[in-house]
Amino acid sequence: MSEDANASGKSYDPFEPFREVRDAYLNTLSKAMIDAVNTEGYAEATGAMLDGYLTATKPFREALEKNMLQALQQLSLPSRQEVAALAERFTNMEMRLDDMDAKLDGIVKSLADEKKARSEAASRAGAAGSPVEAAPDQPKAASAAAGRARRAATPPDKPRR
Amino acid sequence: MAEAATLPDQMAACEERLRTLTRVMTTKADIAQTPKDLVWTLNKAKLYRYKPVVDARQRHPVPLLLVFAVMNRPYILDLRPGNSFVEFMVGRGYDVYLLDWGCPGIEDKNLKFDDYALEYLPRAIRKIKAVSGSEEFSMLGWCIGAILSTIYAAMRPDNGLRNLLLLTAPLDFSNQQGLTFAKWVDEKYFDIDKVLDAFGNMPGEMIDYGARALKPVDNYVTSYCKLWDNLDDPRVVESWHAMNTWVTDNIPMAGATYRQLIVDLYRHNLLIKGEWVIGGEVLDLRRLRANLLTVIAQGDHITPPCQSEAILTKVSSSDKELYRIPGGHIGIMAGSSAYKTTWPHIDKWLSARSG
Repeated sequence: MSEDANASGKSYDPFEPFREVRDAYLNTLSKAMIDAVNTEGYAEATGAMLDGYLTATKPFREALEKNMLQALQQLSLPSRQEVAALAERFTNMEMRLDDMDAKLDGIVKSLADEKKARSEAASRAGAAGSPVEAAPDQPKAASAAAGRARRAATPPDKPRR
Repeated sequence: MAEAATLPDQMAACEERLRTLTRVMTTKADIAQTPKDLVWTLNKAKLYRYKPVVDARQRHPVPLLLVFAVMNRPYILDLRPGNSFVEFMVGRGYDVYLLDWGCPGIEDKNLKFDDYALEYLPRAIRKIKAVSGSEEFSMLGWCIGAILSTIYAAMRPDNGLRNLLLLTAPLDFSNQQGLTFAKWVDEKYFDIDKVLDAFGNMPGEMIDYGARALKPVDNYVTSYCKLWDNLDDPRVVESWHAMNTWVTDNIPMAGATYRQLIVDLYRHNLLIKGEWVIGGEVLDLRRLRANLLTVIAQGDHITPPCQSEAILTKVSSSDKELYRIPGGHIGIMAGSSAYKTTWPHIDKWLSARSG
């Protein structure tokens, strides 16, 4: 460690004298390795290694799965596949519940809008002194609210035209 | 003049460095700190809404949905206070939502791009519309999330998507010589049936290995050397710690999705050719009409720039822009200079279109 580094209070770093050399070496090696992994040879080698591993472990995996399945059956417990199938069905139910939830939200909102429209129409009629004048607006407001409810109820997997 | 450090001082400093090194290598950093509420769930997917910090009258009325990749944790978008894209956008007055796909189990091995883009995403968007009260929304897709966002934007063009932002989007696989991944997963060398038969889902560790092996020296050696060199600098250490927490938090990719990624995209390039069948329909990019910003990282080894350029010529959007930024796949959004380059550009582009 240099005197200057000591004077500035910087802690001891055993790599300091070698840092520039190290960085230059790593930089060169990095570029070489980036080129090396971008070759057919590397792809072939890693593919062969992965293939070898999967082939070598397949008998053990199959034996383990078979024994596990038998053990679970004897203990009257569900297998992994059965639990997975149940989970898939649960997700489908969740989707249906989500759709129903959205439809209910749409209905509640449209009812609230309709109620608001009615009360606004009634207050306008009250201000004008004639309930008959408010009547033509009401079907329009109710129709708009119903349209909103229909839009909210459209399943998300169907394109809206 | 300061006195020269004595040997005990040097030993104490060295011990402190080793303690810091051990801490950052063996613990997880406090990440994803921006306050949020869980507003929707489906299976493992979760939709979060970040608590607004800007007054409602000054906020942009069009909400923003962030969609990240299915095989990484999305908190890279909210890494840590002071270095969080989410925090930045919330502070700029956006109503920000984040879709976390969650960690697929073996029961999810049959999930495809079709399911994510046409079953999960539309339902999350429906919830955003209900919560925000806006019929329109913006969507930012990053990496595989950009593929999902593109699928949605092209298949559901009339569902209120106003602005689409694609970050480092792997959409075009025609330049096979320029794609290292394409070589590795060539059918001559990579038996996808055997892999998925063994694992069901593609293990996160294997995906992580693939990403790191693209730049093996940088990821396995240089990164640690840089950490060692800067162990006395808390700013660098905490940044490294947060990033390492994210990098080592791997999750698997649903088997069927991985198969589509390799076979349909890397090997046959069906998306950009206009031949990819999603949900029983051919995905036609000409149906994509939303305002489009494509962000390309010029030094990206995972999604080289050539993968993100062609989309602009395929879509019908009248308002579209290509923005190139120096940096890597993750660095352009989570690096130390992101807040000066990428984030302000996204904010500027989006704010002009979110009124």
